[in-house]
This record gives sequence, structure tokens and C-alpha cells, in this order.
Amino acid sequence: MQTDPYTGPVPVAEYAAEAELERSSWRNHRTRLLILGGVIALAVAYMVYAAFPGNTLYFVTVSEFMEDPRLRDGQTLRVAGALAPDSFRREDGSTLSYFSLGDKQADVPGIAPGSPQVEATYVGVLPDLFFNPHSEIILEGHYDGHGEVFATDNILVKCPSKYQSMQSENPDLIPGAAAPAQSY
Amino acid sequence: MLTAALTIVDGYLIFVVAPTDQVLGHIQRIFYIHVPISILSFLGFLVCAVAGIGYLIRRGEMWDRVAHASAEVGVVFVTLALITGVIWARPVWGVWWTWEPRLTTTLILWLIYVAYLMIRHYAPTPQQGRAWSAVVGIIGFVDVPIVYYSVQWWRSIHPVQVIGPEAADDALEPIMARILVFSLIAVLALFTYLLLERVALRGAEDAVSAIRRQGNYE
Repeated sequence: MQTDPYTGPVPVAEYAAEAELERSSWRNHRTRLLILGGVIALAVAYMVYAAFPGNTLYFVTVSEFMEDPRLRDGQTLRVAGALAPDSFRREDGSTLSYFSLGDKQADVPGIAPGSPQVEATYVGVLPDLFFNPHSEIILEGHYDGHGEVFATDNILVKCPSKYQSMQSENPDLIPGAAAPAQSY
Repeated sequence: MLTAALTIVDGYLIFVVAPTDQVLGHIQRIFYIHVPISILSFLGFLVCAVAGIGYLIRRGEMWDRVAHASAEVGVVFVTLALITGVIWARPVWGVWWTWEPRLTTTLILWLIYVAYLMIRHYAPTPQQGRAWSAVVGIIGFVDVPIVYYSVQWWRSIHPVQVIGPEAADDALEPIMARILVFSLIAVLALFTYLLLERVALRGAEDAVSAIRRQGNYE
């Protein structure tokens, strides 16, 4: 046992008290620890649930959007599809553009044959890969019932999960540089 | 040394040898950093969870040091994954950030392990900090498979996996796949180096605080 001439046995008592606190706190806090763990588990579960409730998706497809009138009541949502061929036009001297989207075909460029289409308007600069035939275009905005167009606030471009070098010769893939001839 | 050499060679491979992507262009090269760093952050949190279980059972100091060090390295890596992702998203998707499944679950992962580090420091006693953070590290790991499978389970703007059990066989050209594997090895070396250094540093910190405590009672 250590004794200090000035403070006497106090540090030892302190040390013993600390050790006792450590032991008792572990017993007392076992419940608290379990509660803490439970709260964290619930919080994680809730955040996952809140981020993706079953009836809300990150985006709907064009055909889902056109089939369900409830989605066209003016609510803000995301619609994904591919650019319909030759549907794009732009007002002269402005950034207002008009275009149509159809359902994206899996793995091949362009829209699925016979898919419904939605007309859209957008004011602003288009993303670089907007005109790439492999791109899936995601529109954020709402349906304007009067004009019967989708009023787009933001455009996002989803790219294929496959990467291909420029040199490789693949007749199915059209180089991105060839398509934006009509872009500004 | 090995890590430095691997990282330099990896930089050469990424910027000189790797082919330019046909659709995305040069920005796609960030892929060779973004993907390995994301995967190694998963490994960091796996080590953290396993060491956390080891600490709760055995109560050994070493378990706690490894858990703490791997959580710190994991947080650094997932932060870099988020930053490289943001840099990649802006030119390709058109936005810096969007609240979609992969991005949101990754941000939650980041928050969980930042909470892990905070709990360590804010707990009333170091012993409680170790035990509580071990629990957070173990439960928090549940988010890792959610992040990995998020692109399968929910509609997402993020590309699907290019490596791991759910990856498509033809997702990458052979040369791209080989450079990705090399990048993975380089980043794994960096990860291991950082982890070992941090564990050693934690050992030194513990030794210093033990000496200081002893000094107080003498």
C-alpha cells in the first residue's frame, strides 16, 4: 500500500473506489448496455425502413407512371426511361427543351418496342450523357395535368454497370461521341 | 515500402495503362480507387465487429485495440469512398448527391462508425467506452450487407456490383478486371499498413497512460 506524506492514504482509497465503481458500474450498466444496443438496432432498422418504405421507390418506370393516374396527381417523383428517338427539340436561343421518354430496354440501347411514352419539358443544361443511347434517364419533377407533360426539375443519368474500353470493337455499342451531334 | 511501391505502380496502371472508358471517358478511372476503397472499408468494419465480439468475450486489451484501429481505418476509407463517389457522380449522373438506396445506406454506415468513435470518447469510463463501442461495432456491421445488396434489392441509380458474389461475369473487360485486382491488392496493403500502425500506436498510448496513472499514485 502506498502512502504519501502529504495526502496520506487518499490515493489508495481513491484507487479502490475507482476499482469498485468499475466493478459495480459494469453490473449496473449491463442493462443500460442492452438498452443502448437495442435502441441502436431499432434506429438502424427504422432508418432503413424510412429510407425505403415498400410503396415508395427511388423511381418508377414510364409505363408504371402512365398506367397509374395516382402518380400523375402533381406529386413530385422520379420517372426513369430512355429517350425516344427523334423526340428531342429545343427552343431557339433558350435552354427550354422538349422530349419524350419510353421504357428502357434491358441491355440494349433505345426504348422498348410498344412502350408508352411520356412527354417532358426541362429548362437547363443537360447532363453530358443525356444523348447516349445506353443511358437511362431519370427525371425528377411532377406531372402537369393541364399541359399533359412531365415538368422536370432535375435530370439524372444512369449508366450501364459495364465498362468497355474505347479501342474494343463491339458493333452493339455505339460510341458516346457519335450521338450528341444534336446536343448544344 | 511494399505499400508505397504498390501504390505508385497502381497509379501508373490507372492513369497510363488502363483503357479509357467508351461511354464515361477519363472519369471512369476513379473506379479503380472508388471500388477497392469501398470494399476495404467493409473489411475494416468486419474486423471491427469480430474484434468487438472477441473483446466482449475475452476482455483482452489487444481485441479492443484492433477493434478501435479497424473502425478508424474503416471510417477513413468509407469517407474516401463517399468523396470519390461524389466526384464521380457530378459529371456522370449530373448531381453531386441523390437520396437513393446505395448512397443513403453508405451514409448510414458512415454515421454508425462515427458514432462508434464518439461513444468511445464520451463514455463515463474507458471500460464502458470499450464495451459500448464493441456493441455498436457489432450491430453496425448489419449495414454492410445492406449496402452491398442495396443495388439489387431496390431500384437505384448506382451501378450494380462489378465484384463479389452478385457481380456479372462480363461487367469488366479482362484488362480492366486485372487492374482492379491490382488496385485491390495495393489498397489492401495500405489498409493493412494503416491498421498495424494504428494498433501499435494504440499500444503505445495505453502504455503511456498506464505509466501516467502509476505516477499519480506514487
